[in-house]
Formats: sequence, structure tokens, C-alpha cells
Amino acid sequence: MEAYLVAMLVFAGLYALMALGLNVIWGLAGMVNLGLVGFFGLGAYASALLTTKLLWPMPLGWAAGAAVAAAAGAVMAVIVARLRGDYLAIVTLGFAEVIRLVASNEIWLTNGTDGISGIPGPWRGAVTPQQFNLIFLGIVWAAVAVAFVALARVSHSPFGRVLRAVREDEDVAAVAGKPVLWFKVRAFCLGAAVVGFAGALYAHYNAYIAPEGFAPLLTIYIVLALTAGGVGAMRGAIVGALLVLLLLEGTRFLAAAIPGVTPVQKAALREGIIALSLILLLRFRPQGLIPERTRTRASP
Amino acid sequence: MTQTRIGRRAALLGAAGGVTSFAIGGKAFGQGNPVVFGALPPLTGAGGPYGPAMLRAIQQVVEEANAAGGIRGRQIRVVAEDDQTNPDAGVRGARKLIDVDRVTALMGTWASSVTTAVAPLCWENRLPLFTVSGADSITLLPHQGFIFRTQPNSRLQISTGADFLLRQGSRRVFHMAAQSPFAQSSQDVLVEKFRAAGGQVAGYVVYERDKTAFRSEVDQIMRARVDTVFLNGYLPDVTILLRELFRAGFDGRRFTPAYAVNQNTFQTLPNEVTNGVITWQPSPDVESGAFRRLQTRFGNVEVDPYSAQTNDHAALAILAAAAAGDATGVAIRDAVRRIASGDGEKVDNVTDGLRALAAGRAINYEGASGPVDFDERGDIRGTKFRYERAENGRFALMELR
Repeated sequence: MEAYLVAMLVFAGLYALMALGLNVIWGLAGMVNLGLVGFFGLGAYASALLTTKLLWPMPLGWAAGAAVAAAAGAVMAVIVARLRGDYLAIVTLGFAEVIRLVASNEIWLTNGTDGISGIPGPWRGAVTPQQFNLIFLGIVWAAVAVAFVALARVSHSPFGRVLRAVREDEDVAAVAGKPVLWFKVRAFCLGAAVVGFAGALYAHYNAYIAPEGFAPLLTIYIVLALTAGGVGAMRGAIVGALLVLLLLEGTRFLAAAIPGVTPVQKAALREGIIALSLILLLRFRPQGLIPERTRTRASP
Repeated sequence: MTQTRIGRRAALLGAAGGVTSFAIGGKAFGQGNPVVFGALPPLTGAGGPYGPAMLRAIQQVVEEANAAGGIRGRQIRVVAEDDQTNPDAGVRGARKLIDVDRVTALMGTWASSVTTAVAPLCWENRLPLFTVSGADSITLLPHQGFIFRTQPNSRLQISTGADFLLRQGSRRVFHMAAQSPFAQSSQDVLVEKFRAAGGQVAGYVVYERDKTAFRSEVDQIMRARVDTVFLNGYLPDVTILLRELFRAGFDGRRFTPAYAVNQNTFQTLPNEVTNGVITWQPSPDVESGAFRRLQTRFGNVEVDPYSAQTNDHAALAILAAAAAGDATGVAIRDAVRRIASGDGEKVDNVTDGLRALAAGRAINYEGASGPVDFDERGDIRGTKFRYERAENGRFALMELR
């Protein structure tokens, strides 16, 4: 039981990191990014390839994962510079699919749909699986803490305020003399880096990655996490990630507790409960559990 | 608009309630001393059409074993989780089964990516994983003997298929492959087989499985002037390919895995398009007693090869635990080969198997999917293959060997 809870908290931490990254791009800068899982995949593949093929040390691989995702984020931001709303969402969704398709077809590099297995983890093998879980729990949540403090400061800094201005009205921000594109590029870069870092950690935790693991479903979970937690507030991202995981896993036990339900019905019921609770949340609490305070103070 | 406030306290309360429900779950599972096996079939997602039957096969074998007295008096319980045909969800489901339900064997993973993702958890926690996934790479993992695969690997499947084509007189083949873990390895095997027989693979195209039009690919096939096209894809894309090949007037042999053409194809396409399509698949041993029992239990529903395999997964795990006198993962792993092959009394069901073991006799389980003998890597040996030809909306058996 404890091992399971620890493993799920690791997943929650990874989701929280992704939600934090998305919060910079979507929450602060207002750019709907449904290509999240693409950046996540890039980070995962970059780190996995560098550590397994070139035998880089893991921390360098993680940094590289974040850097590659950040670079892709910058390029992405320039490409979508003139797109807003639904159009932006569609293009970013396409980006994630491109990453997945490249990963499944460029077999020389990514080993195709077979995926990459045997990715090293910190002290994996030298310690028991449970100790490894605990070590990783520490690493992931330390990363969440660092990202949270850093991004919360960013969000209250002049930079963060400009991003909010861009979100509310690009033209006004431009008229006020702010280089809108440059701010968007930096926001995309920063957010993608955090998501890429989460991807790198995921690869080393799971020891195995494959293109199928980077399907749009994960993006949806993270978008839901952020919506549930409250778009714009960094605390909301973390609360939302915990909530989504609680929902994903808690429904297992909830659905099983109903007598006379077969496993097949349970599987369907689970998906139903997840969907229903999110619909209810959006109906009765559209601003999320922890709404953003728009009047920002000078420091967090 | 009415405002419903979910304050921080309410959220906290909700979270606490959720966490408590975990604890309750843990306690309820702690009572008694049954042997617990975990099933991780795909109940939703791409594998959704297969998972429920796979699970039913497992549950029925366990019911039978419980009726026969269980494993040395201990009852057996199956806990199932849905792997959603997704590696991420599969890992979370496996974690729950291993850490919360404390299962001592996992069975019924379907998608190769799920199996590969779940496998490290199994060998780290020292419990066997019985799978129906076909990707070659799975049994090449450093699994310390914890993986048992009842599905012939893709290399064996393709080379058997190639032998069949050569027997049928095929010499020039065009290979259309959907992007998958076995596209390239299939091509390598085909080239090797055809070259050795004096034929050749005249064309090889890998396509994305979500494609909806294949005009240029079909043109390539027509230009290659082949006697056979090998449609190594999945149901949706092969359906489109068959239609386009028919329109283009292709009159050669069309050869495809059985999962790519089924009753749905006959409903979608007119008979003149599908007539003559040849399918092949690793066949359950339809003549075996184990298969007949499974068929009877399933009623009038057709038994797919995966259910036949999970039927054997459950039987192997139960008999191995009974033979070892110990239901730990390592004991089951070590006993599987002892009860699955060798000179022991041949049994095809758990009732007879448990009785023979209780009487101290050695057994050799012969399953619904085949004789279930495993090599040192955990791969299955000696599976039969079934070749069928589509004729007016139904399949006619050509060969079973």
C-alpha cells in the first residue's frame, strides 16, 4: 500500500510539474497549449537517448531534456505568433502529434514503436524498489518546490505582469510599448522547459518510454488539472494535479466498492466518474479551486 | 448565477475522504488468506474489443479451481484493473495490483507497449507476468525468467506466413506494413525467406496506420507486378487498402494477418472485394480438450486466440503455485516449466491438474492455445497456425498446421 501511494505521489509530482509549465504558457500568457505532451515527450526522449546512447550522467540528461523542450517551445512560439484561441489550440495539438509520429517512425534514433527500455534511474538496482521510489519521490517533489517558488516569483515580477497584460489584450500591451512576440517566446520557452524536465524525470522513473505513452490523453489530464486547480495561480496547478490523480486512482477503489459491479463495468464507470466530476467542477466552480488573484503584489 | 462555494476546507475534507478510501481498501483486502492474482487486460481503448473476454476466461478458470478446492486449500481471488491500452495507465494499474492487492502473478497484458512498461515492475517485485503481446523485444528484456509469453513472437509468425506463401507458389511479394514494432523485423524475415527460395520482395512500404487513402501506395503495388501483396496492417487501414486494390484491378494474392480482416470487414466491403483474401493467425489448439471446455463455458460466442491464451495464463499460474506448494511470485516462476512441459501426466484443465498434483504426480499442462511449452527466454514453442480464405462473406479453412 505504501509503495503504491509513494508511486502515485511521484506521478502526481510529475503532473504538477507539467501543470506548472502549462500555467506559464496558458495561465499567464493566455496561449492555449494542447501540445503539452509533445514537449513532455521531447524532454523524455532527449534525456533517455543521451543517457542510454551517449552515456551522459543523469542530471545532464535532465537538463538537456529541459533545454531541448525549451528550444522547441521557442520555435513553436514564433510559428504560432499570429494565432489565437482555437486555431492556436489546433496547431499545438498538431505539434504533439508530429512529435509522436516522428518518434514512432525515426527508428534509427528512437527505436520506433518498440520504445526505449532500460533507461537508468538514480541508484536503481543498488537499492530496493521501494527505496528507489522514495528517492524519486524526493527528487520529483524537490523539483516541484523549486519550480513553484521560481514560477510564483516570475508570475509576480514585471515579466509576469506583462504576460498577463498580453493575455488580457495583446494590442493594448503592444501599444504600451511591450514587444509582445518576445514575451510570448520567453513564456513558451520557460513553460516548455518545465514540461520537458518533467518528461525527462518520467523517462528515468519509468525506465521505459514509447510513442504510445505520449498520446493526447495526458495533455487532457494536465489541462483538466490546471482548470480544476485554477488557471493562473501556481498553487492551483499543484492542487489540481493532486486532485486529478486522486480522481484517476480514487475511482478505482470507489467503483470497486459498489457491489455487483464487474471489472468491465468498473472500467467504464471509472471513466464516467472522472468525466462527471470534472463537468460538475467546471459547472459550479469554473474559476477552479484556487482562483488567480488578479491584483498582484510586488512579491509572492 | 448561483455561486456554490467549495472553500479550501471543503477541498481539504474531500481530499482527506479520498485518502481514507485508500486505507479502507487496504484493510478489506488484508483479511483471510487467499492467493491473489492480478489481471491487467485492456478493457477500454484500442484493445477494448478483446479485454473483457480475456478477463472472463481468467475468471472462469479461477472459479473452476476454487470449486476443485483451490491451491492446497487456499482459495484464489482475481483482481482486475483496466490497462486502458495505454502504458502510463497500465503502469498505474500494475502498481495498484502489486502494492495494494499484493498479487503474486500478473496476467493478460495485451498491447506490447503496456507489457514492456509493466515488465520492469514485475521483475523488480519478483512476480511472473503472463502476456499475449507479440513484439520480439519483450522477451529480450532482462526479465530473469519472470515473463511468459503465450503469443508466438512476430518473427515466428512472419516466417511461418512466408513459408505458407512460398508453398502456395508465391515468388514476388509486395510488403505493405503499418508502422509498428514489427514492421522492420517482418521485412527482414520476408527478404530472407523469399531470397532463399529464389523469389524476391519486390516492394516495401511502411505507412502510418491512421491513413485514410492509399492511392500512391496502391500505384506502387501495381507497378511492381507482384503475384502477392502482404498487407501487414490493422483492421481500418487494411479495409481501405483492400477496396483500393480492388478498384485498381489487382488480381494477385492478398495475404493479411487475421486481426486485420474479420466480420466487420465483410459488413463494410462487398464480397467481390474480399473474396480470395487469405488470412493467417496463430491458432488456438481447437481440437484440444482445453479449448473445447473454454468454448463450452463461453456459450455460443466465438473464442478468440487471446482468450484461449489468458485461459492458459490462469491455469499455468494456479497449477504452478500448487506444484510449488507456495504461491509466491518466485515459486510460481520456477514451477511453470515443470508443469507446462515434460513427461508428466497430460492434463488440460485445472481440476484434473490440481487432483494429480495433490496425489503427488507430475503433470504436463496442455492448454487451449497450444501445448504451452516455454523456451529459456519465456517464448512459446510449437504453436499451430491457421490459414483461411474469404469466400462470400465467410472464412473457409485452408490449412491448420
